[in-house]
Amino acid sequence: MAECEAKSEVTGSVWKIVTAVGQHVEAGDTIMIIESMKMEIPVIAEEGGTIKAFLVKEETPVSEGQVVAVLES
Amino acid sequence: MSEAAKDAPVTGWAPEIEELKFRRAEAQRLGGVEAVQKHHDQNRLTIRERIDGLIDGGSFQEVGGLTGQGRYTDGTLTGVTPAPYVMGLASIDGRPVAVGGEDFTIRGGTSWSGDRKKGGQGGFIEDLAASYLIPLVNLIDGSGGSVTSINRRGHAVFPGVHGFERSVELMGKVPVVSAVLGTAAGGPAGRAILSHWSVMVKGTSQVFAAGPPVVERSLGQKINKEDLGGADIAVDHAGTIDNRAKDEAECFAMIKRYLSYMPQNVWEMPPVVDIGDPADRAEDALASIVPRDRRRPYNMRKLIELVADKGSIFEIQPTYGKALITAFARMNGKVVGILANNPMVYGGAMDVRAARKQTHFIELCDSFHIPLVFFVDVPGFMVGKDAEAAATLREGMRAVYVALQASVPMFTVVVRKCYGMAGMGATDKNGLDFKIAWPSAEWGSLPIEGGVAAAFRREIAAAPDPKAREREIEADLRSMASPFRTAEAFGVEDIIDPRETRAYLCRFIDAAQGRIRTTLGPKARYGVRP
Repeated sequence: MAECEAKSEVTGSVWKIVTAVGQHVEAGDTIMIIESMKMEIPVIAEEGGTIKAFLVKEETPVSEGQVVAVLES
Repeated sequence: MSEAAKDAPVTGWAPEIEELKFRRAEAQRLGGVEAVQKHHDQNRLTIRERIDGLIDGGSFQEVGGLTGQGRYTDGTLTGVTPAPYVMGLASIDGRPVAVGGEDFTIRGGTSWSGDRKKGGQGGFIEDLAASYLIPLVNLIDGSGGSVTSINRRGHAVFPGVHGFERSVELMGKVPVVSAVLGTAAGGPAGRAILSHWSVMVKGTSQVFAAGPPVVERSLGQKINKEDLGGADIAVDHAGTIDNRAKDEAECFAMIKRYLSYMPQNVWEMPPVVDIGDPADRAEDALASIVPRDRRRPYNMRKLIELVADKGSIFEIQPTYGKALITAFARMNGKVVGILANNPMVYGGAMDVRAARKQTHFIELCDSFHIPLVFFVDVPGFMVGKDAEAAATLREGMRAVYVALQASVPMFTVVVRKCYGMAGMGATDKNGLDFKIAWPSAEWGSLPIEGGVAAAFRREIAAAPDPKAREREIEADLRSMASPFRTAEAFGVEDIIDPRETRAYLCRFIDAAQGRIRTTLGPKARYGVRP
């Protein structure tokens, strides 16, 4: 099994985690939503897989490029 | 052969023609079988294979193929080590180009001292592009000068003895493309940057001012060359190189694609390719692509695809400055440069990277007479301490400055937000200043929700329920911010059904072609950029 990381494209704060650990996502699915510049910016799965862990919680700040979730494919 | 025939004088030039054949065969051997094998083992093509992979089949007319170091025994030629640079005239899609590159299999493609340089910085290949006004393609795989040249010459050369003056001249005359296909440091790295567009191959190429040994000696940092100047750093993080390719074959396909949008020089019109996509094609998806919820972003790339000629989009710097999308595309066959804010990244706010990207792309399109289409959804310059520390304001104003100096026609489509100085920089203020907007559009000096708290601070603080008062004022102002009200005042030239975007733009881009023809030639640059 290969692991892949989901990263936030932007600096902001975690607004809503819309998936759960163990959940399968397809490439292009939204994993969580970051609030930045008054916008809801989705963190999108680059490839399909199962969510293994979240590395952030809701309302915590994130930096651009920060790994926010780990997926197994 | 009879004794008489043996003694007969040679009347033709057969011996010399044989020698010429031998010398040409030696040039084809490059650095020899072992060096070529080693190069192949690293998943890299030789310079001759690269040229063949890029150009129209059989179109290479090599120049300077005999250059190199002849080896002689008792005055008889026994072999030739070729000069480590291969170049000449070729065709790409039927159009002439000057193409050249270092031969890494000979001394790592380091500089060679003949009577005349073949290429790199200056040299015949740059003279050819400049004299015949044809595009130049640099296939870079060399590390430039070497300190060993001091031994050879007996003195140290002054920087610029083989300078960049021709390379700079070319930037205003003909398309210059550079592909970094190995480890480029020093001069070749600098040469790669002096291009209108550059590309490198992920994993097998790196670019930096100086490589790991120099970095360790200077700063004590131990770092490998991929971490120092691989595509992750040079393309995605720094924007030093524009695009990345997964392998050399994709790299050559990208070079051909890039050149397909370019005129041969600044005195010619960009090539028209009509693929038969109707100019009045109206896509229903455009009517609902922008969410009503202003906080929710949408797929700007999809929007561009729905408007431009099918399959015509080629993105420049897709992984750098992602708050802005810059791409070549065609509209009814005519080349356009598209600048579109990307709401998925910082809501499309112009950060320092997006500003740099915009400045370069506007200047590029202006130089080659490619009209610009802005798809605007920009809340303004990026805000915050990081943005200020990165000089966003200065780089942002530079983008505004360059747009105001550009004289190529620009078309502005306001998709959603158009605020502040970043919004101003997406308009043709010195030209027709032609702005069309979608019903989802909104504009102003700054977004209402940010501005109300500051402008009505006292009134809000004095209210019994300050939050409610703030919302009330916002609602009042928003009711007046409808784009239709600005259209009544002709402050925007039109509001359109999003599905009409393609047809509307095609009409005006077609109509502007005659005007573009009147301004062909080099573009003068005046003043001092901020």
